Amino acid sequence: MTTDANAISSSSASNPSGGRRADSIFRRFNVGDALLGLICRTSAVVIALMLASLVLVLLSSAMPAIREFGLGFLVSREWRVNELERPLRDAAGQIVMQDGEVVTETIKPAFGALPVIYGTAVSSALALLFAVPLSLGAALFLVRVAPTLRIAGPLSFLIEFLAAIPSLAYGIWGLFVLAPFLQTTVGPAFQNTLQNVPGLRWMFFETVTISGKLVERPIPMTGRDMLCGSLVLAIMILPIVTSVSRDVLKAVPRTQIEGTLALGATWWQSCIAMLRYGRAGLFGAVMLGLARAAGETMAITMVIGNNNQINPSPFAPAQTMASLLANEFAEASEGLHRSSLLYVALVLLAMSLVFNIVARRLVIGTTSPAGH
Amino acid sequence: MTATMTQLRPDIALRAPAPAARGASAVTYPIIDAIKRGETPEPRVHASVIDETPILHVRDFQLWYGPSKALHGISMPIAKDKVTALIGPSGCGKSTLLRSVNRLNDLIEGVHIAGAIELNGESVYAKGVDVIGLRRRLGMVFQKPNPFPMSIFENVVYSLRISGERNKSVLSAACEKALRQAALWDEVKDRLKSSAMGLSGGQQQRLCIARAIVSEPEVLLLDEPCSALDPIATLRIEELIHEISERYTVLIVTHNMQQAARVSDYTAFMYLGRLVEYGRTADLFQIPQLRETEDYVTGRFG
Repeated sequence: MTTDANAISSSSASNPSGGRRADSIFRRFNVGDALLGLICRTSAVVIALMLASLVLVLLSSAMPAIREFGLGFLVSREWRVNELERPLRDAAGQIVMQDGEVVTETIKPAFGALPVIYGTAVSSALALLFAVPLSLGAALFLVRVAPTLRIAGPLSFLIEFLAAIPSLAYGIWGLFVLAPFLQTTVGPAFQNTLQNVPGLRWMFFETVTISGKLVERPIPMTGRDMLCGSLVLAIMILPIVTSVSRDVLKAVPRTQIEGTLALGATWWQSCIAMLRYGRAGLFGAVMLGLARAAGETMAITMVIGNNNQINPSPFAPAQTMASLLANEFAEASEGLHRSSLLYVALVLLAMSLVFNIVARRLVIGTTSPAGH
Repeated sequence: MTATMTQLRPDIALRAPAPAARGASAVTYPIIDAIKRGETPEPRVHASVIDETPILHVRDFQLWYGPSKALHGISMPIAKDKVTALIGPSGCGKSTLLRSVNRLNDLIEGVHIAGAIELNGESVYAKGVDVIGLRRRLGMVFQKPNPFPMSIFENVVYSLRISGERNKSVLSAACEKALRQAALWDEVKDRLKSSAMGLSGGQQQRLCIARAIVSEPEVLLLDEPCSALDPIATLRIEELIHEISERYTVLIVTHNMQQAARVSDYTAFMYLGRLVEYGRTADLFQIPQLRETEDYVTGRFG
């Protein structure tokens, strides 16, 4: 050590040209530093600009629809792409005739996002309902049981591998495996056991208006419905919720777990204490799952049935914001239609942004060492 | 503060290390050297220890972390209703021994043991022992305050809650009693419902003591309870240990020799997983039988 240091100082002292400059307290211009700084700054700015331009383009394209419908768009149930001609009816509901011909009225196209907002909210909520208990259980297993069995590594890999499977694969599996199974086995089983239970009739029957009359009819079991969509979503959000929950639970200090055990907590009670300690982070994990479920497009489009309606039954087809966009955007030629779809996209973007921000704050608050 | 502390144990005045090392190079520690060679010399246990009624009895206890042996044949009785301190340099196994009493080492992968630790004559490592029930009979306080993220009240009554106590009045009576015993009641009585995380470090540690004594444990295990606290908070905890020692048996691990001298009745000096000398604190600090102990407690080695 000492000889090295001596060697360096003697060599710089014996170098009369560079020695003076190196000792100066003024900083010297360094091309490499400047260049790297410039590249980093540019990259950061470009990414921020991309997000900004994305929002701006969406906003400007959605402007005609925003002007036309305002915030009422969010609560309107109508989604009619084309003009509709229909017989004019008088106050009594009779078709108005004039000169022996039926008088028709023309209804303008109308767009409202409530059915897709409902579809997105319900399918995501159901997906969370299926996925969160499974994810928390798996995360607890990975943190508290698997290490002693030496299978935490391979199991974590398998769970995270689920996230690498393309969305389309889930969709195809849902369409060809899950949907027929629901249609032929699960749906009828529920129908046979529950349809005569008072208060559950809405699950299997729907009331529709056919030529002015209210008719109750059974919901056809297609297998491609809200239930199928939620199940596929649940499988797709399992990896993220599990791996984030696992990290949150891993960050629970050892002293917390030992503290509960030293007071005589059972294994189960100390797990509860762990979940409680990490509750903010776990909530964040759930929010990340929710954001993913709400934005998922390909798989859900294949299995949810794509019917723009609000039907409380899990066996009825539905539509989410993302599946609506996937279904209609390519064919949306008319200005207001296109603009309305972009309005839906804007709502989806805002929702995802809120979920992500909330989740990020909660997760970072609990897993970073500076947190507690 | 200092005045109060000296009153606690007026019989013990720490001897300052002799300024001139008497033949520094010539000093040899045959027992330490034997331990370093891997032997387990017979510990020097004073007769005063044997005369006491033991509540805990460690019998030829050995512990391995995987292939490495951390405790070598420790045998020592722990006197009932007294404060016993475990001292020794880092890595001497004092915390390991403490955590063996309530079987908290069971959680660590690869730990296995031989020998026995008896609580009131019953081996805690016997087959079929209810570990949960055992831990409920032993309170424990850790190095760093570890309040749970809940209210002060819920922290204190945690051990009662998890053993199924629901009665509100029982819980609040127990909470008040424990907080009074832990000398924290006056500071927190108006904010029992607020989060325990908002307390200062010293208050959090007293809360942890209240939490440990709320179910009236037979032995209170303290694992360096002041190592994360400032000097003033440390003094308060030491006074508190002195007070609660009237009701409970306390086994305390400390790396601070002055602390052992101030709070304990008995002191055990450990080195590299072996018990070296064990006796009345006053004797161990003032008339130790071994040169090793004398030089350790006066700070000349270790």
